[in-house]
Amino acid sequence: MPIVLLVVRRTLLSIVTLLLVSLIIFSMLEVLPGDVATRILGRDATPESLEVLRTELGLDRPATVRYLDWLGGLVTGDLGKSLVSSRPISEILAPRIFNTLLLSLYAFALYLPLTVIPAMLQALTRDRAPDHALSVVTLVLLSMPDFLLATILLLTFVLWIPVLPAISLVDASSSWFEYLKAMTLPALTLAIVMAVYAVRMLRDNLIEVLDSDYVRMAELKGLSRARVLLRHALPNALVPTLNVTALNLAYLIGGVVVVEKVFSYPGFGTLLVDSLQLRDLPVIEATVMIAAFVYIAANLVADIAAILLNPRLRTG
Amino acid sequence: MSDLDIRLAPAVQRQARLWSLWRQMPLSFRIGSIILAIHFIVAATGPFWAPYGYSQMGAGPPLSGMSLAHPFGIDQLGRDVFSRVIHGSHIVILLSLSGTLLGLVLGAIIGLLSGYVGGWIDEAVQRVLEALISIPFLVLALIAIAAAGTDYAGNPILIVLVVALVYAPRIARMARAAAIDIATRDYVTVARLRGESAWSVMLRELVPNATGVLLVEFALRAGYAPVLIGSLGFLGFGLRPPTPEWGLMISENRALLIIAPSTVLGPGLALASLVVGLNLFTEGLARVLGRTVKLGNQ
Repeated sequence: MPIVLLVVRRTLLSIVTLLLVSLIIFSMLEVLPGDVATRILGRDATPESLEVLRTELGLDRPATVRYLDWLGGLVTGDLGKSLVSSRPISEILAPRIFNTLLLSLYAFALYLPLTVIPAMLQALTRDRAPDHALSVVTLVLLSMPDFLLATILLLTFVLWIPVLPAISLVDASSSWFEYLKAMTLPALTLAIVMAVYAVRMLRDNLIEVLDSDYVRMAELKGLSRARVLLRHALPNALVPTLNVTALNLAYLIGGVVVVEKVFSYPGFGTLLVDSLQLRDLPVIEATVMIAAFVYIAANLVADIAAILLNPRLRTG
Repeated sequence: MSDLDIRLAPAVQRQARLWSLWRQMPLSFRIGSIILAIHFIVAATGPFWAPYGYSQMGAGPPLSGMSLAHPFGIDQLGRDVFSRVIHGSHIVILLSLSGTLLGLVLGAIIGLLSGYVGGWIDEAVQRVLEALISIPFLVLALIAIAAAGTDYAGNPILIVLVVALVYAPRIARMARAAAIDIATRDYVTVARLRGESAWSVMLRELVPNATGVLLVEFALRAGYAPVLIGSLGFLGFGLRPPTPEWGLMISENRALLIIAPSTVLGPGLALASLVVGLNLFTEGLARVLGRTVKLGNQ
C-alpha cells in the first residue's frame, strides 16, 4: 500500500534529520577547532583543572568514538552526568520537562480563545473601526519581541493589577493553585505571541467563508446569526489555521527559553540558559537534542496527519 | 528666465512621477518606509546630537523616571537612557542588516545551486538544511555562541555570523524552491546547452529571476534580526555592557521596572517601532511584488 510507504518514508527521513542534528550539535560543541576544556573553563584556568575536565569529558579519546558513545547513550536513554552537579541529567531534566509541558498546555488553553474571539470580532466588523483597531494591535504585538511583551505584562500585572506573582518559582511542594498562579503570566505571554499569527490568518479565512454560498444559504434558511457563525463558518475557517498551530508549536519550543527566563519559571528553557551560562556541556547537548526531537516529532505527526487526511493520497 | 524653465521641467516631471509612484504604493509600504527612514536618520546622525554619551555617568539623579530633560529616565549608573537608545540605534541596525545580508548571500548560493543541480547533492543539502532548521533558531544561536567560546563572547562579528548562520538555512530553502521553478524555463536550458557552468547559470539566470523572492526574504528576515539580537543580549549572550544594545538595556534595567518603567519601555519602544517599520515595509513590498508573505518568526 503506497500510503504505508509514504508514512514509512517520512518517518525514516525524520530519523535521518534527527541523526544529522545530533552530529551538528556534537561537532559544534566538541569538535570545532580549539580545546574544549579551555573553552569551558576560559583562558585563566590552571593546567591541572583543565586536565581534570578533559578526563571527565573523555577528551583523550578520538571524536568519532566520543560521538558514537554519546549517541548510544541518547538512544538507550542514558544522557550522562552534569559537569556542575554530577547528577544524572535525566534526573535534572524530568521535573523541568514536566513544568514546561504544563506551561505549554496552559498556553495552548489560553491560545484558543485569544485566537478565535478577536478573529470573529474582526470578521464580523470587517473594514470598520474595530477590525482596523485589532489589525493594528496584532501588528504591534507581532512586532514585539517576546521578552519585551513578557516584561510589559509583568509590569501591568505586578504594578497595576497585583494579583499575580512577578517571579514564577515553583517546586514539587507547590500546590496546584500556586502552580496555576505562577504559570499564568508566562503562559499568557506565550499564548499572545502564538495567537497573533493565527488571528491574522483566521480573520482572512473567516471573511472568505462568510462570503461563501453555503453560509448565504444557511442565512437564507433563517438560521440565527450565532448558529451560522459557530456551526457553519467557524469550523471551515479553522482548518487552514491548524497549519499555523503546528508552526506555533515549533515556536513554543524556542519561545519557552526566553519567556521562562523572564519569569524565572523552572522549566526546560531556564535549564538551557542556565547550563549555557555554566558551560555545562552534557546538559546543553541533552536539552538541545530534546528540543530538536520535539520539533521533528511534531512535524512528523503533522505531515502524517496531512497524508492520512488527504483523500487524494488515500485512494492512490 | 525661460532658459531656467526648460532646464527645470524634466526635474519637476521626475519629481511628479516619483510622487505619483509613492502615492500608488500600498499604505503599509508608505508607513513602514517613513518609520524606517526616521530610524535610519537617527542611527546615522544620533551619535552627533545625543545629549549624553552612551556610557556617560552622572547625567542626572539615578533611577529617576521620565522628565523633559531625560525622556526615558536615568538608569542605575546615572546614565541617560534616551541617549543610550540613540547611540544604540546604528549598532542594532548595522548588525541586523549585515547579519541578514550575509545569511541571504550564503542561503541564496546554497539554495539556488542545490535546487539547480538537483540529484543526490540536492537531497543531501536539503537534509542538512532541515536538520539546522529543526533546532529552534534561538537555541541554534545560543549553541553557536557557546561553541565560539569565551574568547569571542560579546564580539559584534560573532553576532553577525550567528544571525547569518540562523538565517542561511531558512533562506536557502526558499531560494531552492525558486531555483527549481526557474530551472524549468527555456532560457536556463539554453544556457546549459551553451555549456555554462552551474555557477555561471546561477549568477546570470537564477539570481536575476529570483530577485523578487530574495528581496522579500531579505526584508522578512531583517525584520526579525533586531529581535534575535535583542533576545541574545537580553539573555546575556549578545553584546557586552556598556554597549547600548536595546535588548541588553532592557535586561539591565529590568530590575528598575517598578521604580522607573521608562528605562525599560524606552529601549522597548525603539526596538518594537523598528520591527513594526520593517514588518510594514515587508508586507507592502511583498504586495508590490505580487507575493504573499507570512510575517513572523518562522
